[in-house]
Amino acid sequence: MGEGRRAREQSAGTSPDTRFPRCESRRKEVIALAQIRLDNVSRSFTVAGATLPVLDAVSFDVPSGGVTAVLGPNGSGKSTLLRLIAGLIAPDDGSITIDGLAVADADQRVGLVFQEPRLLPWRRAIDNVAFPLELAGVGRAERAERAARLLDLVGLSAFERAYPHQLSGGMRQRVAICRALARDPQILLLDEPFSALDALTRERFNAELLDLWQRTGTTIVLVTHSIAEAVFLSDEVVVLTDRPGRVAARVEVPLGRPRTAAALDSAAFSRAAATIRSHLSGRADDLAAHEAAAAPIHDVLERAGAPAWFDPFGGGV
Amino acid sequence: MTNLKRLTNALLPIVAAAVVFLAGWKALVVIANYPDWFLPAPEVVAQRFARAWLDGTMWRHASATLVEIGLGFVVGAGLAVGVGYLLARSRLAERLLSPYIVAAQATPVLVLAPLLVFWLGTGLLPKVVICALIVFFPVAVATMVGIRSVDARLLELGQALRATRSQVVRHLELPAALPQILGGMRVGVTLAVIGAIVGEWAGADRGLGVLINLARGSLFDIPLMFATLATIAGIALLLYLVVVLVERALVGAWR
Amino acid sequence: MFRLLRPLVVLSLLVGTVACGPGAPSAVPPVKLTVGLGYIPSVQFAQFYRAQQQGYYAQAGLDVAFQHEIDPNLITLLGQGAVDIGMADGTSVIPAAGQGIPVRYIATVYARFPSVVMAAADSGISSPADLDGRSLGIPGRFGSSWIMLQALLASAGLSPDDLEIRLYPDFGQAVGLQQGQVDAATGFRNNEPVQLDLAGFDVTVLDVDAITPLPGPGLTIGESTLAAKRDAVRAFVAATLRAMDEINADPEAGLDDAITSVPELGNDRATQLAILEATIEMWRSPYTGTHGLGAIDRDAWSRSLEFMRGLPDSNIPSSLAVDRLVAEELLP
Repeated sequence: MGEGRRAREQSAGTSPDTRFPRCESRRKEVIALAQIRLDNVSRSFTVAGATLPVLDAVSFDVPSGGVTAVLGPNGSGKSTLLRLIAGLIAPDDGSITIDGLAVADADQRVGLVFQEPRLLPWRRAIDNVAFPLELAGVGRAERAERAARLLDLVGLSAFERAYPHQLSGGMRQRVAICRALARDPQILLLDEPFSALDALTRERFNAELLDLWQRTGTTIVLVTHSIAEAVFLSDEVVVLTDRPGRVAARVEVPLGRPRTAAALDSAAFSRAAATIRSHLSGRADDLAAHEAAAAPIHDVLERAGAPAWFDPFGGGV
Repeated sequence: MTNLKRLTNALLPIVAAAVVFLAGWKALVVIANYPDWFLPAPEVVAQRFARAWLDGTMWRHASATLVEIGLGFVVGAGLAVGVGYLLARSRLAERLLSPYIVAAQATPVLVLAPLLVFWLGTGLLPKVVICALIVFFPVAVATMVGIRSVDARLLELGQALRATRSQVVRHLELPAALPQILGGMRVGVTLAVIGAIVGEWAGADRGLGVLINLARGSLFDIPLMFATLATIAGIALLLYLVVVLVERALVGAWR
Repeated sequence: MFRLLRPLVVLSLLVGTVACGPGAPSAVPPVKLTVGLGYIPSVQFAQFYRAQQQGYYAQAGLDVAFQHEIDPNLITLLGQGAVDIGMADGTSVIPAAGQGIPVRYIATVYARFPSVVMAAADSGISSPADLDGRSLGIPGRFGSSWIMLQALLASAGLSPDDLEIRLYPDFGQAVGLQQGQVDAATGFRNNEPVQLDLAGFDVTVLDVDAITPLPGPGLTIGESTLAAKRDAVRAFVAATLRAMDEINADPEAGLDDAITSVPELGNDRATQLAILEATIEMWRSPYTGTHGLGAIDRDAWSRSLEFMRGLPDSNIPSSLAVDRLVAEELLP
């Protein structure tokens, strides 16, 4: 069980990113310290007078510097879970801690990437990336330099001065990831970040995300409803049940790192995927139960009526 | 398509419409044989227009009106954006203020103007107030609608980035609502011209509204009256274009 | 049924002949004339009401209808021929004619210029020169009062810039004078000074008649009407002047006819009589004393034309002559 973790620890020391010297030295510390711990977390929402339980007694750890995927069907509270970790909402019951310290309101140790890029359309790419730094009062020269470096990291240097409407959906999402990394967070949370992209682009972006992770050493928690994506990217997959979301299983991914496209076709991959599916398929075969569980109310945080200009891929899936 | 050709294509319908209008006007004068002091022909008005500008008459009055419009618009629109924001974000404010705002809008300015002159005198102040009153409503409503329709997902982003209230207003809400606000300002700026003229009619020494009355009632110079009307229309058009250009500069790049 | 018809026909013919009235030319329909009077019905138009009430217009074969118009509109309507005769300011006829509007002044009604400057009796203002540096209330920098003011001040070598002008667009300058907001104010001789006097506020009145003989309001007509209805208009002028002579001799009779036409005037007989008497004073001048009411003083017009041409912002062409402004041919 510890195989994957040891393999990861070995690789941690061998590819430092000289562009992020701070991250490098910190990463050595964080391996021992930083982690996310969810302990018996529950959360419900009040919709039209009725109380809707969304998460029920969810507990799991996210090891520092690792990649953890949270997988579950629609309505399992995955997005709610991310927002709890980010500190945008508070749990009704239980606790969430990062490095032993409780999660603060809009915790700045966390960088959040939403399902849609949510770029400010009136700012150029580089100014979008610099936005969190600007809000925090960082000086103009410094934030411009940081933003430029981040965009270079994802290969968008040539598009620094482009406006969001001039970029493709994938490029916009990359800019959003850079923005989430602007404050150099210890943790990166991604909420189905590639669900709006086509399958081929998605595979490529998965590889790029791993590459980015390799170079920055940020702890990653990724919400997805794609089993393949979860297995390819993560060290451990937390499988949630249907509403109210509970931890159905925590499946370790025994694939080595660095992961290549070849891993997608390996036996270990299929086995992991099958294990995960088995925790989901019990419900999937039972159509009646599935329909009953999939209430017509979508995630309460996905509100309707986005202006057309905002994002063509926007909206809940 | 070259830039020149594109420009020509854009201007052609405007020029054509103007030509048709002038030709129709001239035809009417010729057919009905109207004298200059009743309905002057376009070229008569054009000559009088040129003369009034060259001898300084028109500018003396136009400059006064422009000051009234400028101040009135700035005050009215400035207040309106603030109040519009308040109405958008505070249910209490909306419930308290809406009835008064709607009532003020419904009262004809022509009725309010003499009252304001009575209280505030015949100087610049009552005209600025009248102008501001007339500009207020469209800009306030546009701001309210614009702020209300700001995408909630952007606001959540602001929350995630720990933006303060004033940062949210400055960096998220106002830029997002800007297209709507500027749309309201397009309407507001043309109404400001009306407000200034009405204010002058209620009592003034100088201004294009005064000049209209002078031309009609003292000088019996109808071509001058028409030339003044043309100046007023020209100013309204110009101000509208300015707002359009501002909109293009601020919003055009990222749409 | 047919037996009744014949007497009926004869009866209607009889009634019709009687209804035509004494002195009416047989079977000629009366000429319709629209007459434009000032903005609101007033005792100042007593002569017209009397001529109507006493049947002088009907006797002259005229069917007169009164209309109330503000001065700028009236001049244009006269020029178009949409209104036949009107009471228009002489000082409006001059610039109007200068702009080519075809109107003619055919009879003087106000031989003395009605617009005056009033000052409180204890203000120390007794001549135009005393106005230097003082404050003055006026409705606006236009109209007959503005021209009068410029003429008055010019006689003392002053211009309106030497005064502190305060605008009263609601025509409340007399009230402003009473309350001490201004040292002096413009007004119409038969209106504000009369009201103030009745209210116990003594005023000194400065007028321009001795300085510049500006033409007051009088009967004005469009040139096309003059050509088309010459005889009818002449009859109208004669009937109106007759009424003026009679009221001049007996103001109370004029007031009675005015009240019959405009009943609201009966609410305050005393005030209306005072206004009427002040009005009658203005019908009379040294010139009308020798030439009769309604006579046109060409010399006065000449001097007024010169004066108005010389005002700043004047647009009166040098080619304009008195011949183009007045037509005395319709006076009896």
